[in-house]
Parts: sequence; structure tokens; C-alpha cells
Amino acid sequence: MATAEDELLIEQVTSAHRARDLDGRVKSHPAWHDLDEAGRREAFEATGLARVLEAALDPRGQSTTAQAVLARIRRG
Amino acid sequence: MNAEALQLASISAGDPEAFGHWIAGVEPSLRRTLKPFAALVDTEAVLQEALLRVWQVAPKFVPDGKPNALLRFAVTTTRNAAVSELRRSAPSHEQLDALEHQLAQQQAAQPWVPDPFLREAIAECRKKLPRQPSAALEQRLSSGGTEDDAVLAARVGMKLNTFLQNFTRARKLLAECLKKRGVELEVR
Repeated sequence: MATAEDELLIEQVTSAHRARDLDGRVKSHPAWHDLDEAGRREAFEATGLARVLEAALDPRGQSTTAQAVLARIRRG
Repeated sequence: MNAEALQLASISAGDPEAFGHWIAGVEPSLRRTLKPFAALVDTEAVLQEALLRVWQVAPKFVPDGKPNALLRFAVTTTRNAAVSELRRSAPSHEQLDALEHQLAQQQAAQPWVPDPFLREAIAECRKKLPRQPSAALEQRLSSGGTEDDAVLAARVGMKLNTFLQNFTRARKLLAECLKKRGVELEVR
């Protein structure tokens, strides 16, 4: 059972927003590093469910992961 | 030329719309590929990095003539990106053995076809959300993963923790509402 603090970390990890490093590579979310193994697995499941919801609510069927990648491509 | 070949031709020619359409169909399969890595790497970051690599390589990609060629290539790219990220944390032999075992058991990836009933049910349940959870959800959706939660929280006048709590509520309320309609959400 996740603690209230874990829940906040998990919720941050479910975001599709990821910073880039100096080489332009996608960086891990800082909150992911603060989770234990069980929390990371829970974050994985929660993210998958969130993306199903997002894709279903988007007229093009794109989750925020897809939108973040496309935004990155369009920025060049 | 079949639909997949046409789509691949558009992607190879540098059409982001076609690539977005392709991602919408394959993202659940690619994410499922990363399940064995869930406790070892940030799979969201790995998936985005892998999709960017697929986009970069697409102009030179030569399909092998079998179905779902680009998806199969993307699965390999995604696994390689995850292994590459994992190596940075010096994994143990036990971790690598367990990973290899899980990866060997994975089924071949298939494109996902959206369910129109699910779409309608989620949209209906979204309308029933209370104001604050609805606002948090709306921010996440409209930002499309391009802005940090702190920015989104400030935009709707919430502290970060309040924003995250409201997003948790939105997710849970949506899941409860869907369950009442006989929809059990699952990661495909």
C-alpha cells in the first residue's frame, strides 16, 4: 500500500513531461528516483492506465506521451 | 500499396502527422514491452527516447515484407534503449537474468485498435468530475506532456501537492465511474 508521500511521487511520474539533458536525451523524472521498487511498478501501471484515458479523450487518439514526442519533433 | 506501407512511406518522408497516427496505434504495445524494466528504469523517459530514435531512423528503414515491420523494429529499439539506460546503473547479474527471462516470455507486439465504447464512456465520466480534479486533469491533457506539473499547478492557482492530489482524485473517480458502467480499465 502506497503512503501519501508515495502517491504524490507516483502522480508526478505519471506525467509525460520529461526534461532533456545537454545532449537532448530524455531524462528520467526526478520523482522516479525517490520511489522504491514497488512504487516504481505502481507508477508504471498508473501511467499505462492514464495513457489509455488520455488517448480515449483525445480526438486523434494520442496520449500525452505521443503529444510530447511530436512536440519535440516539431521543435526540431 | 497496403495501408501499413502507405503509412510507412509518409513517416519516412518526414510527416509528423503520420508518425503521430502510428504512435497512437502502437504505444500500448511498446509500453507493455517495458514492463520487465518498470522497477529498473523510468519507462516513460525510455519510451519517448525510443520513439524519437524510430523517427530519426525511419527515412532509412527498409521493411522486411512481414506485417507490422515498423512496430517490430520499434520494439527492438525500445528494449535497446531500456537496456542502455539500465547499464548506466550497473545492474546485477541476477537482475539481468530475470530480465532476460521475462523478455523471452513476451508475446509479439500487435497494433492497438481504439474502442469507441470506451471513448464514449470515459468522456461521459469526465463530465461528472468535481471542479478541482477536472481542472487538474484538463491541465495535464491540454499541456500534452510539454510542461512541468509545477507550471500547470500555478496556472490553475493550486500548490503542486494540491494539484497532484486532485489529479489522483480525477484518476480514481474516472476509474470508479467506468467500473459502474462495466468498464474495467487495463493496460493493453
